[in-house]
Amino acid sequence: MGRLIRCIADNVVSPLGVTSAANYEAVKAGRSGLARYEGMGNITTPFVLSRIDRDVVDGLCSNLGIEIKAYTFFEKMVLASAAQAVRDAGIDARSERVLFIFSTTKGNVSLLGDAQGFPSDRVLLGVAAHQVTAWMGNPNPPIVICNACISGVVAQIEAMRALRSGKYDYAVVTGADEQSPFIISGFLSFKAMSDAPCRPFDKDRKGLNLGECAATVVLAVTDAVSEGWELKTGAIRNDANHISGPSRTGEGSYLALREVLKECSMDDLAFVNVHGTATAYNDEMESIAIYRAGLIDVPVTGLKGCYGHTMGAAGVVESILSMYAVQDGTVLATRGYSECGVSYPVNVSAECRKTTGSSFIKLLSGFGGCNAALLYEKH
Amino acid sequence: MKSIEAMGMNVSGLDNVVISSSKVLVNGRALEHESQGNAMLTEIYRSHVADWPKFFKMDTLSKVGFLATELLLKERDEARMGSEEFASDRAIVLFGTTASLCADRNYQATIQSASDYYPSPALFVYTLPNIVTGEIAIRCHYRGETQFLVVENFDSHQMAFHVQCALQDSVTKSVLVGWVDSTGNDDFECFMTLVDRNEAACADTLAEQMEGIMNNLK
Amino acid sequence: MILKLKQEIIEVLNLEDIKPEDIDNDAPLFGEGLGLDSIDALELIVLMEKNYGIKLQDPAKGKEIFKSINVMADYIQKNRTR
Repeated sequence: MGRLIRCIADNVVSPLGVTSAANYEAVKAGRSGLARYEGMGNITTPFVLSRIDRDVVDGLCSNLGIEIKAYTFFEKMVLASAAQAVRDAGIDARSERVLFIFSTTKGNVSLLGDAQGFPSDRVLLGVAAHQVTAWMGNPNPPIVICNACISGVVAQIEAMRALRSGKYDYAVVTGADEQSPFIISGFLSFKAMSDAPCRPFDKDRKGLNLGECAATVVLAVTDAVSEGWELKTGAIRNDANHISGPSRTGEGSYLALREVLKECSMDDLAFVNVHGTATAYNDEMESIAIYRAGLIDVPVTGLKGCYGHTMGAAGVVESILSMYAVQDGTVLATRGYSECGVSYPVNVSAECRKTTGSSFIKLLSGFGGCNAALLYEKH
Repeated sequence: MKSIEAMGMNVSGLDNVVISSSKVLVNGRALEHESQGNAMLTEIYRSHVADWPKFFKMDTLSKVGFLATELLLKERDEARMGSEEFASDRAIVLFGTTASLCADRNYQATIQSASDYYPSPALFVYTLPNIVTGEIAIRCHYRGETQFLVVENFDSHQMAFHVQCALQDSVTKSVLVGWVDSTGNDDFECFMTLVDRNEAACADTLAEQMEGIMNNLK
Repeated sequence: MILKLKQEIIEVLNLEDIKPEDIDNDAPLFGEGLGLDSIDALELIVLMEKNYGIKLQDPAKGKEIFKSINVMADYIQKNRTR
């Protein structure tokens, strides 16, 4: 087990706001960044997307002293969120005892469609990440977790381990993804998208929405328990079944949950924040995994109805919102849910509920058969 | 004087497979083949695997990672698990700089032109580098941890550090560690090795060993 | 037309070791038979649009159309716009 991992700062940049607190207030009030688009570029099929205003990000960057012409939109999202979180944490990003870990599925892939004047090597994730660490003045080689939709949880787990190794004092974990025709067209080709706001776990769900977000947590390693959030444990497990379809028995999800439950006090567990993408198969699979893990009565909450699927950011933003929710004694409503449409009746609600719990589990699944869970506890 | 490679010696001490666009080495021994690039991968598949037709649906990155793993496990004489048997104690942790760039370009070609716009789901699914770990997990029945970490440059110490991190999961007993890169359908490089807790105990030693394996690629 | 369709399917689905004569015209394409999966079904939808101008919005309908080569060829003949 080892030393304690604490979250000492957090930030969210999304269509719902540019601070974690603003995002939490917006989600609690039932707002979403989702909007319907009739098409984009060569795409002529309608879809629903939660898109960040580029001017807002440029404004954040300018205020932070980041040169807006020198970076791609993806890099600016990451810089804006990471720089603010680092500032709030009061740590020296130039120290070799600070490790930057990034989580993204496609990074600068939009440059393949339109180079926008950037050198071609910026499509390489390591090169893009280096833009950020260089601006921060950090000497460590960047590491990018590129593990499909579970990347945001994996990145936090990797940070936890890196800190427990004793080599670092702080880890800055930023998850982000830009939604461009590349990703949107891909999910449309999978017939996995809904042309209406998504409906997690609902009997009428017809697919996912996509979203843009950059979210950061700053983690620190300490020996003493103090007030605040502790990242207790995390696990990553593969279904070993199919590269894009989830396991019909929720195998990897169940195994990941089982692992983190070993360190979970059930009396303190406020809720499980799920993946809940609102595709027919994902939500069904998650309900099975939750049932098999003995969590069928535990409150369940999903945020994709507010943010859409934010890919590399999902694990981070959904963890941060969960922290704010627990602090507020609240199980956030699962926007878009109305009537149960999965085999096992997970304890999900369209309304906000109260809780006295002090911990939560964050669960995600992704292409490649991977699944991940983590457990945060509030002291 | 014969080169170390020609003598077929395993310099690193770790079982390993090395695949580049023009050669395949199993513990330093070169496998015979007539072609290069993607055609070589097909040749090696047919002569050394042959029972996994899904191979032909894979992108180049997955083909390379899959083949390297097959050759490695065969070399170690590991028996294939039964259809209902799965293992959770082996992690798959792969590294690279290009990630799925080759697959990304192939997919981009299907959406680039408005008049020839036919996004391909079979190509899109491979535009994530961790799919390689998924293909290996499916074939080998590994239900453990799977990860793909993208780096800016090959850095054996960075890799060794993250291998040790993976072993912090108490269930994980061994790690299939690989370097997988592809800049084109006929351009790729890969090494694959297997590391248990003892072999990962000293990060510097592990880093040196991986440097040694990487040198065989050049 | 059946032969052309088989060749197109073999190419698009990367069925490398299969020849047109190996595919029985009435055998199920999914499940047993060729053992195609959900991604293959989606690719066949793209094939129908690209080569025959048939747009299929509901993937569930695909499972009926792709029952066998004969069923698929029949559907194409009736609905093709190219």
